[in-house]
Amino acid sequence: MRRELEITTDEIDEVALLQRRKFTGDMGAVICFLGVVRGAEEGRPIAAIDYEVFDRMARRQLDLIFDQVEKRWPVASVRLVHRAGRVPAGQPSLWVETIAPHREEAFAACQFIIAEMKRLAPIWKKPCPV
Amino acid sequence: MRIRVHFYSYCKDLTGCASVSECVEPASRIEDLLQKLFVRFPKLAPAQKSLLVAVGVDYQGADYVLQEGDEVSLFPPVQGG
Repeated sequence: MRRELEITTDEIDEVALLQRRKFTGDMGAVICFLGVVRGAEEGRPIAAIDYEVFDRMARRQLDLIFDQVEKRWPVASVRLVHRAGRVPAGQPSLWVETIAPHREEAFAACQFIIAEMKRLAPIWKKPCPV
Repeated sequence: MRIRVHFYSYCKDLTGCASVSECVEPASRIEDLLQKLFVRFPKLAPAQKSLLVAVGVDYQGADYVLQEGDEVSLFPPVQGG
């Protein structure tokens, strides 16, 4: 399984990510998820979210999650980009792509990665008021 | 032995620092280290039940036996995405 992981303070460049997408002949489903910073948290408007990341451990935990994906589904490719630092409202903070032969496993793997990331990857967010 | 302890997210706010060095007896467990830290940083104690602990880059439970050179990290529940 191809795997790519990026934790970055730069904006997520969707065009560049799409250009680097690789298919094999038996892959029929691509799921691409984009998580975007909302303009409000708990009913209050915010300007941005500040993401704090324990980088080395986040990479380790995400790699373990990818190991689980590889064991559970016939997924050909997993790519994940997570922002660190200040992300303004309206900008993506998370980009996840899974490629698999069929949509069931591509959707399931993508959901699994995001759910497990939220449970295990040491990343915290602090809303920045307007 | 001396153990380096790192704090993340609001644990950093509760202790007022990003990391400290703590002295523990050989064969101490994480729970022993935590008790020392709660005495040293009383504001941290109320967060005890929700704290997560890692040694290096892996999660560990309260029973983990600390070894010389271990780097321990304390943090609240994670919330990426």
